[in-house]
Amino acid sequence: MSRLHDMGGRFGNGPIPLHKNENNKVEDNEPTFKYDWHAKAWAVTLAAGALGQWNLDISRHYRECLPPKDYMNYSYYEKWLAALTNLLVDKKLVSLDEIKKFVSLVETNKLDQKSIENINLDPRTWLAKDVQKTLGWGGPSLRSTNQEPIYKIGDDVITLKYNPNKDVKGGHTRLPVYAMGKIGKVYSYNGSHVLPDTNAHGNGENPTPLYTVEFKASELWGSSAENENDLVYLDLWEPYFTLNK
Amino acid sequence: MNSKEHNHSHDDHDHDHDHAHSHLPSDPELRVKAIETLLLSKGLIDSATLDELIDTYENNIGPQNGAKVVAKAWVDNDYKKRLLEDATSAIRELSYQGRQGENMVVVENTPEIHNVVVCTLCSCYPWPVLGIPPTWYKSDEYRSRTVREPRKVLSEFGLNLDPNVQIKVWDSTAELRYLVLPMRPIGSEDMSEDELAKLVTRNSMIGTGIPEIVK
Repeated sequence: MSRLHDMGGRFGNGPIPLHKNENNKVEDNEPTFKYDWHAKAWAVTLAAGALGQWNLDISRHYRECLPPKDYMNYSYYEKWLAALTNLLVDKKLVSLDEIKKFVSLVETNKLDQKSIENINLDPRTWLAKDVQKTLGWGGPSLRSTNQEPIYKIGDDVITLKYNPNKDVKGGHTRLPVYAMGKIGKVYSYNGSHVLPDTNAHGNGENPTPLYTVEFKASELWGSSAENENDLVYLDLWEPYFTLNK
Repeated sequence: MNSKEHNHSHDDHDHDHDHAHSHLPSDPELRVKAIETLLLSKGLIDSATLDELIDTYENNIGPQNGAKVVAKAWVDNDYKKRLLEDATSAIRELSYQGRQGENMVVVENTPEIHNVVVCTLCSCYPWPVLGIPPTWYKSDEYRSRTVREPRKVLSEFGLNLDPNVQIKVWDSTAELRYLVLPMRPIGSEDMSEDELAKLVTRNSMIGTGIPEIVK
């Protein structure tokens, strides 16, 4: 039912990859980008996204749809770049032949710098002068609707046992497997937000009430919970759960 | 590829079957270069925009922003109240806003409660106040283990919490972005807001560290 990215609670992962100093203290000074290509992969992904041919949920779903062996082998920015490549082709911004051509050019070091300089920009291209404005605005998912939330703070609820995405098999959702079929309590209501389950598939924003739901560690992990008093909070859209009667 | 995965009737974006990315070079540096130069050649991206983006997050947007929010909350009770009630607006008072911080939530550590933030499904993180997430935050290890064994995870960061302290783990499954308001360290009573901000580490605002006075 799930994809590989949905890894909350999974067994088998070792220690958190941390750097410690000579006093065995965790280093907390990692630079923004460890390598130039990380910075480039990140910035190219943002700039291509600004062309407006896909939304955040679509780009997440593309990363999640990478073949499991690639998802596991790739580092973070490799996942971004692979998903971006697939998006660029699927949305017809570039062709597979063009990708093959540029792969060959960079691999053989035959790229003519003139071919990438002083190019007439596409009218949709994100300009440097607009970067701060666009970043400052961001991409809010909150929508004003007249939709009243069904649930109240304090309601006992139970999450769905299966992927809430009924329209698309293996489709995008934000209800993690570890929190499926679990009993929790509505902690807060956060207004109506774009529904990822439809927005990731081009099926509309469908703003839907979003709640924060509190789960006891013992409900999620049973007797293997580290401490029965600990709590886990998830932000869940209204269709992800029902009242626990 | 399993043909049952295909679902063209509902969704023409289903692409479990095509893998343009498999044509990319094995060296990630060349992979980025191929895509970057192709997009530049088509005028779909502008190199000045890439430079502006990278420069912004390397120099202007990072945990130094969140540290100023925390330090202000430590010295100004009214601000702290606004921050806990409507974090997005309170953070905007310091001009931090926008991408990946459109809806902010601040959760407060107390002697009884310790908060820690994770994104099990991807790597959601409050960019305007913390910048780009560090490698460990994006790791499978942190994403998989933090919801199930937060105490063991925190101990790897050097944080050994008393069993009587309740842990609240916030899994960022939607577009709300969480910032932990750590406790002001004992011994910092005479410090100015600027001095306090220097004590506030990135990890302390994720919940995997606590601010300490370095002697």
